[in-house]
Amino acid sequence: MPGEPIEELISQGALWRGRAPASPGQRYEPTGWRVLDDCIGGWPRGAVCELLSPGRQGLSLLLPLLAYLSRSERWLAWVGPPYLPYAPALVAAGVDLQRILLVQEEDRQQCLWASEQLLRSSSCALVLAWPEGLQAAQLRRLQLAAEQGGGTGVLFRSLRATAQASHAALRLRVMPSPIGLDVAVLKRPGGWGGQHCSVPL
Amino acid sequence: MLWLGLYFPELPLEVFARTDTPDVPLAVIVHRKNGEQVLRCNRLARAAGVRPGLRLQSALALDASLQMHQRDPAREQETLRELAFWALQFSSRISFEPSLILLEIGASLRLFNGLEALLQRVIAEAPQLGFELAWGVAPTPMAAGLLARERPTSRVLNEPALHAELEQIPLARLTRERAIRRLVEDIGLHTIGECLALPRPELARRAGPLLLQLFDRLLGRAPDPREAWQPPAHFEQGVELQAEIVHHNALVFPARRLLLALGGFLRGRGIATQRLEWSLQHRDGHPDTRFRQGLLKAERDPEHLMELFRERIERVRLEAPVIALRLRVDDCLPYAERGTDLFESSGDRDDSLLERLGSRLGPQRIRGLGMPADHRPEQSIALCPPGHGRSGAPPRGELPVWLLPRPRPLTVSKGVPQHGGPLRLEGGHRRIESGWWDGQDIARDYYQAINPEGARLWVYQERRSGKWFLHGLFD
Repeated sequence: MPGEPIEELISQGALWRGRAPASPGQRYEPTGWRVLDDCIGGWPRGAVCELLSPGRQGLSLLLPLLAYLSRSERWLAWVGPPYLPYAPALVAAGVDLQRILLVQEEDRQQCLWASEQLLRSSSCALVLAWPEGLQAAQLRRLQLAAEQGGGTGVLFRSLRATAQASHAALRLRVMPSPIGLDVAVLKRPGGWGGQHCSVPL
Repeated sequence: MLWLGLYFPELPLEVFARTDTPDVPLAVIVHRKNGEQVLRCNRLARAAGVRPGLRLQSALALDASLQMHQRDPAREQETLRELAFWALQFSSRISFEPSLILLEIGASLRLFNGLEALLQRVIAEAPQLGFELAWGVAPTPMAAGLLARERPTSRVLNEPALHAELEQIPLARLTRERAIRRLVEDIGLHTIGECLALPRPELARRAGPLLLQLFDRLLGRAPDPREAWQPPAHFEQGVELQAEIVHHNALVFPARRLLLALGGFLRGRGIATQRLEWSLQHRDGHPDTRFRQGLLKAERDPEHLMELFRERIERVRLEAPVIALRLRVDDCLPYAERGTDLFESSGDRDDSLLERLGSRLGPQRIRGLGMPADHRPEQSIALCPPGHGRSGAPPRGELPVWLLPRPRPLTVSKGVPQHGGPLRLEGGHRRIESGWWDGQDIARDYYQAINPEGARLWVYQERRSGKWFLHGLFD
């Protein structure tokens, strides 16, 4: 019923109703994993996601997204990756390497700066980053940059960051399991966490 | 032919104002036959009542703190040459008069999509040069200069229209030549219009051939050849700063002036550059700070270069206050218009993004990823310029997502390789033997291994030595 104050609040996204699956207006990229789509609805666009894990795992979860987005003409940026992405594995997953952009920088501040620039640019569809010692205010900056650029940012962080307050739209805990990765939702756009799924690799 | 006159009315003052502090009253003094008088003065001097034309004694009586400089024509000329670098984008035919740059722009109109677009660019960029500028357009160089001085923003496109535009201008403004000026005073003609109203034989009889020749050149009835300036092959310019600068931000404005001049120079010559060399001169003989800016591709747009400068200068440590900024560019390349080069065709619409990243982090840190067809894991990854990564045929089998840049030797305990504890090898091995042709041959058996923490690793045993190495990581 438009015009009602409460409807207005809902349409502005200022009010969230417990049973709604997500905040209105939020758009998603498919994850490519059915169990994960059921769990989180997709990777949010114009937002930052955190993957918290013991050894900064979780890249495999992004392979279908990398493959899907590599067909657009936007960059898929890797800021300060811990090792070299194994190109044959990306190709095997269907990723077009032409869209890959590696920022091989080790300095923390420079990596943050580059992540923000990339997230803010509409010519970049996805930004993967491995920040260390990220502060809440810095994460908020990245989230704002993603909102502006419209792409998706994924931060691979250690489990130690779990206790930190976070402005990320989506927070997942990722644990290696014998068959692949176990994913627990800590926070998702406009919704409660608590969901679990197991992604076979 | 069409000429653009660029007149810098405050140039005599501005050549000093650039080095002096802006917060003192300042005047430039010239010798005239009745003594020294004020030629130009700044805002503060004006506020005290000082005016151009005032005698020095009177000016000092108004403001005893007035700082004075003798007019320096050599310095004015030098500054005009620097400004001409910027103007090169509008014309390759440039000549000079005092405080005036004359450009033949008829040949450039098509390049700029017409006169108005060209003038828009002049108007947009000129204020950032830090000099006051007036301009006029006319079919002859003399008229363009005269209009710039006396009727700024006039656009006269053909000779018939010139007459009407010049009419009101006092004859005395036409030339500094004493002979003609005296003549004019003698015969009582005050404006250009009054002279032109006389029949030509009458004017010739009364004023003599000198004035007639002047009018013929002014109105395009006689040729008025100008010596064209030959710009140097490379770009080098400096800005002395108005005040000593201790913070990066304050370098942005002077840098903009240099980059505008550079942009005009490069554009005028149809080239671009990939390397800018900056130097900062410090106070007290502290050694200059020098740094180089390498670009991913040849550029020349001042706005774009400005962005890159901002990123770069933030990382420069200023060891001492800066008193001058210099820019040198001698690495010039043919310019590829955006949208026509290979990079653009690969779909990137914002390569200023890559430039910004490359400029701040170094171009060598911004890479693309390719996959050469090679069985050796370390040879099947290639770093390349972004957007140029080619994919080979996808290999079979389960592959790690990460590769270590260099295989890491593993210790072995009781015959079992260790990495955070003993490794458990999973499934069969994959044998890779290749590379005998280039001397980097390998013979390895690769395994998936799991360590006690549950991490899945890609390890291999070298077949010749039996040694174990960690080479990659599964998720």
